[in-house]
Amino acid sequence: MPKVKIPPPYQGPTQGMERVEVVGTTVRECIEAVGARFPGFAEQVFDAGGAVHRFVKLFVNGDEIDRAAADTPVGEGDEVEILAAIAGG
Amino acid sequence: MSGSNGDRLIRVDMTNQTVSIDPYPEDWKLFGGRSLSARILLEECDPSCDPLGPDNVLVMAPGVVSGTAAPTSGRISIGGKSPLTGGIKEANAGGNPGQDLMKLGYRAVIVRGQPADPEKRYALDVTAEGASVKEVPDCKGMWNYALIDHLAKSYTPTASFISIGPAGEQRLTGASVACTDQEQDRHPARHAARGGLGAVMGAKGLKYVSVDAGKTGVRQAANRKEFTARCKTYTKDYLAGPQMFKTGTSSVVPVANMLNTFPHKNRTEGQSPDAATLDGARIVESFEERGGGMHNCMTGCIVKCSNVVHDRDGNYKTSALEFETLTLLGSNCGIASWEDVADLDRLCDDVGLDTVETGAAIAIYMDAGEMEFGDAEGAKRILKEIAEGTELGQAIGNGAVAIGKKTGHHRVPVVKGQALPAWDPRPLKATGITYCTSPMGADHTAGLIVNPGLPAEEWAKASQQVQLVNAAADSSGFCQFLQPTLNDIAGFYSELTGEAVAPEDVADLGWQCLQDEWEFNRRAGFTAADDTMPACIEQDPIGPQNLVWDVPADVVAKAYERFPNEAALFETKASG
Repeated sequence: MPKVKIPPPYQGPTQGMERVEVVGTTVRECIEAVGARFPGFAEQVFDAGGAVHRFVKLFVNGDEIDRAAADTPVGEGDEVEILAAIAGG
Repeated sequence: MSGSNGDRLIRVDMTNQTVSIDPYPEDWKLFGGRSLSARILLEECDPSCDPLGPDNVLVMAPGVVSGTAAPTSGRISIGGKSPLTGGIKEANAGGNPGQDLMKLGYRAVIVRGQPADPEKRYALDVTAEGASVKEVPDCKGMWNYALIDHLAKSYTPTASFISIGPAGEQRLTGASVACTDQEQDRHPARHAARGGLGAVMGAKGLKYVSVDAGKTGVRQAANRKEFTARCKTYTKDYLAGPQMFKTGTSSVVPVANMLNTFPHKNRTEGQSPDAATLDGARIVESFEERGGGMHNCMTGCIVKCSNVVHDRDGNYKTSALEFETLTLLGSNCGIASWEDVADLDRLCDDVGLDTVETGAAIAIYMDAGEMEFGDAEGAKRILKEIAEGTELGQAIGNGAVAIGKKTGHHRVPVVKGQALPAWDPRPLKATGITYCTSPMGADHTAGLIVNPGLPAEEWAKASQQVQLVNAAADSSGFCQFLQPTLNDIAGFYSELTGEAVAPEDVADLGWQCLQDEWEFNRRAGFTAADDTMPACIEQDPIGPQNLVWDVPADVVAKAYERFPNEAALFETKASG
């Protein structure tokens, strides 16, 4: 099964869980599957129209994918990673 | 006369305006920045002294690797006993003075004493030939930008400056210390802002420090070839990564708002209806039409998180407009426009004020009913009043607690007398433990953990670990936004010194820094009773989960007992 790696700022809905195994064939499906299990999660990644938030970066097996390419296919053993910038300044 | 690697200390006595140059102690070679400041203060400053009196010691200390070719490594720590918290304080800044001092082999400037005449102003000039103090009556009362314009006429273009504005001269406890950036115009836009160290500098009559490294090259490492290779590899790896800060910290606004840590109206709410107009994306959008853009604040920075903001006519206005400033002077004051916040940021930099403390103070003033939330023009007037020294200006310039007392308002969000930064301890409990236990008071740069889902049993450990890593990073000279780990720092230290420095050694250095700071505070009279959140944070709920600060004191106290080293500690990134 693919895994979704969740950055610390987004671990509120997953209650601290860093990796979640999901059933899904695309990046979007994987993230939505996490959201189905942990309400409030998917909204952190997608806006109301289903687009990936501007402040989110997505990776598959360490390679960044375009924000508009959330339908990128994933297979067994792939890892979808989400990153969000956090800093004070 | 010189110590480790030919390095030296500059000692300045402002009572009689004399300077001596001492060798740098060999056993301090891995002390720098924050840890060096802490050690000097613990050994040489009476913790019970009046922070604005002659016995306080002001330290200016670049990091261990500052002045070398290591990327993004030129931070300088300003230290002293804080007039705001009454405890030890370190605030660090970018820009070029740290790089320049270290190129010349000066590991720290230590300023003590006080002139007999408080109306006189002095400057310290530092060059390869030495250092000297001179009287500068023409600089009295100058705002930071005007001061640097003035100094540019008489100093060479290679000089960098550390200065205070009128807030520091008035000894206001929200006053900052400004450092000039690496741009040709040398904007005094990089501030060691927190804790009122500008007031300490002002109390010593020191208006500015000039550092002229001339054509002196970068510091060379003992293992020159390996150090250079490490710099190249580290830079290459960083640039191949996601570069999360390449549009600046202001881009964090929507994430923070989503997480209920974008305080609104004196922290009575965790989200702002104005997040879209305060979002750093609006600043980035302005670059195309107005100019400005992203740049490096110090020579050799690869992060380039600093934005340069222009006005509608395309003229420079300020730099950098950060997330914390957009929050405290924007959302927290109910001010919706990033352009108004840019004006306020410029005024704070110019008058020489901490934007966090000042924003918190103005929000309290508004919350007390003395001014409408959202009154941006009123806020700008207040900042000008601070420079003029009016009664209201002084109360705001002295920070959150001072304006709380003046207005009698009950909602004063501070820990150890210092205003809470943007990151809110109600959703972010581990960060709250940092605010309670850090020697610095409420300060996100002491150890930021943005994980609202972190299990309760992990809070104290997470806080301690990031406090330790940040103490190590703030001692190294590396910027927190480079996000160095203990492993990274150990590698650079090993090549720099030619001796094996293990990540465990760097962890111990970070922990020692915290120990020195906590010891200073113990001697200053701090107890566990000071490690508490204010009533408003314990009682005023935010977010749909009605979050309040409800972490028991015994959980908070666990951050003082060192947790065993784990592999994850050495890969923990500095975060602030």
